Amino acid sequence: MSTILNKKIKILSKKEVAPNIYLAKLKAPEISQEALPGQFIHIKCSKDNYPLLRRPISIHRIDKEKGEIYILFQIVGEGTKLLSQRAVGDDLDVIGPLGNGFNIYPESKKIMMIGGGIGVAPLLALCEESIRQDKEVRVLIGALKKELIVGEENFRILGAKIDVAADDGSYGYKGLVTDLLEEIITKEGWLPDQIFTCGPKPMLKKIVEISLHSHIDCQVSLEERMGCGIGACLGCVCKIKTKDKKEDKVKYEFKRVCIDGPVFEGSEVVWDD
Amino acid sequence: MIDKPNLEVGIAGIKLKNPVMTASGTFGYGQEYTPFVDLNRLGAIILKGITLKPKKGNPPPRIIETPSGMLNAIGLQNVGVEILIKEKLPYLKKFNTPVIINISGDTIEEYMELVRRLEEVSKEMGVAGLEVNISCPNVKKGGMTWGTEAKATYKIVSTIRKVTTLPLIVKLTPNVTDIKIIAQAAEEAGADALSLINTLVGMAVDIDSRKPKLANVSGGLSGPAIKPVALWMVWQVFQTVNIPIIGIGGIIKVEDALEFIIAGARAIEIGTANLVNPQTTVEIIEGIEKYLMENNIKDINELVGSMKI
Ligand SMILES: Cc1cc2nc3c(=O)[nH]c(=O)nc-3n(C[C@H](O)[C@H](O)[C@H](O)COP(=O)(O)OP(=O)(O)OC[C@H]3O[C@@H](n4cnc5c(N)ncnc54)[C@H](O)[C@@H]3O)c2cc1C
Ligand SMILES: Cc1cc2nc3c(=O)[nH]c(=O)nc-3n(C[C@H](O)[C@H](O)[C@H](O)COP(=O)(O)O)c2cc1C
Ligand code: FES
Repeated sequence: MSTILNKKIKILSKKEVAPNIYLAKLKAPEISQEALPGQFIHIKCSKDNYPLLRRPISIHRIDKEKGEIYILFQIVGEGTKLLSQRAVGDDLDVIGPLGNGFNIYPESKKIMMIGGGIGVAPLLALCEESIRQDKEVRVLIGALKKELIVGEENFRILGAKIDVAADDGSYGYKGLVTDLLEEIITKEGWLPDQIFTCGPKPMLKKIVEISLHSHIDCQVSLEERMGCGIGACLGCVCKIKTKDKKEDKVKYEFKRVCIDGPVFEGSEVVWDD
Repeated sequence: MIDKPNLEVGIAGIKLKNPVMTASGTFGYGQEYTPFVDLNRLGAIILKGITLKPKKGNPPPRIIETPSGMLNAIGLQNVGVEILIKEKLPYLKKFNTPVIINISGDTIEEYMELVRRLEEVSKEMGVAGLEVNISCPNVKKGGMTWGTEAKATYKIVSTIRKVTTLPLIVKLTPNVTDIKIIAQAAEEAGADALSLINTLVGMAVDIDSRKPKLANVSGGLSGPAIKPVALWMVWQVFQTVNIPIIGIGGIIKVEDALEFIIAGARAIEIGTANLVNPQTTVEIIEGIEKYLMENNIKDINELVGSMKI
């Protein structure tokens, strides 16, 4: 596991890349060296104690050479709103890198990444790493409408084949990104060795179903409300099947998204809502 | 100016190098905080509430931020006492800081068996004392009910007292009509110290889905929002009992800690603040020392309950 640090890191640049979605570049000499794709940082959004708790945000890109990391985040409430208002040059109080990160198997040749909405955030770093490891990478991005599809160009520049799906039909594939995935697997016959995905729960659930059906290993990045971010408060749990499968009934335990995750084997997650 | 003021305090027969402890449930099993805190600096470490058997806890969402605070409904998820002994306590032995175990149970029998087990291993595993949680609002059985009625409090505390010689701290709930009566019952039953307060029961509603924001519906409120309530309760209990009081509730900076000490707390616990700034404990220890020096106070004990009215 990487060393966890509590640092003040400078905002080097900030840009609204889509309505209410911001990309920020942060000077993080130590954290960038430790960071792995799929990990996150726990951010104090403002300078005072409102909001009180930190907010978890994925590491979007890791630039070890320059000692920089990027975050991509969407305004959904007070914390993310205040974060978007922080000025270039400000120091952000962050803890990280946190969580386990994605696990790319050495033997995998073909990799599929699927991001729903802001769920693309952790996938760019993963895409960069996969391409560095000479994998064939395809990326699917789904969003409600065209304006909310972010990062398409960044994935393409890295050398991934990218398809987009807008639910409202305004761009790319008309329909759900999960339908697009099914078409690629069944009609096109492109079978990845691993799927990595992050996004809204119903999407993740559907992708896991598809992956199980096609016997493809699938890792999902989950979200839960967090307190400490370091495994101490047990505030951030999700339901994970326990190893003992003797009985018919699915047995589960609560695992911490912040330290046991945020990345879990899709087949292990219990989706009950 | 005083050169090196005395920060040492005695609680329930436990010698603390300073009055700053960690509040149960917000500092895990200690190890989680080693990237940020030298555990040797702390007055004492109080661990996540433990039960005889492992506990699954409540479904998520378990926490939600509220104005100047948060609600939690963890439901006492914990590894159970055997894993605590085997896997968590050995790590803490290498630190020169007393480890206090926060205990919970559904029945008197469970508390007794748990206490016996901890007493058994206390020397070998370095258990300095017990904090009896009779105030957890987030479990169905037991939990808080022990702490909301004086007779029940007396019964549980006196029963535990009979099976252990370990220092006994009783943690009180604020969800009562008169905390003085409960405090008195705990003292009479043989508590060596009292810690207060645990969280206040509360709730939050999502107006779009019209569902409660916590899966458990209700949760325990903690953080700066509860500090004035906690202070008032500490002050009331200070005037009622003769045993030491540990102040808890919304302490995030040194001034908060000093308020509690002046109102009668011999030591304090830091909870929610650990989640926000993991270095809070150490910063507050340094802040207390500075305050004593600047105010020419030789000994922290002089400050305890020194409120002028
Ligand atoms: C490991 C992890 C990585 C994340 N990475 C990113 C990222 O890269 N970019 C990004 O924009 N967001 C990310 N999130 C989600 C982000 O943490 C939340 O959107 C943020 O905490 C909301 O804070 P707020 O104060 O703005 O909103 P709040 O006022 O707290 O909540 C507004 C709404 O957001 C939802 N929400 C709040 N907290 C969370 C949470 N922790 N997870 C999911 N939904 C939540 C609630 O349902 C609520 O209705 C991540 C979450 C996790 C757990
Ligand atoms: C996430 C969380 C978990 C907690 N778990 C426990 C517990 O297991 N046992 C206990 O006695 N108190 C528990 N508490 C209560 C705290 O120890 C403390 O009494 C309370 O939070 C008030 O202090 P604060 O405002 O500094 O957080 C918990 C509090 C929080 C926020
Ligand atoms: S946020 Fe505290 S355990 Fe995960």
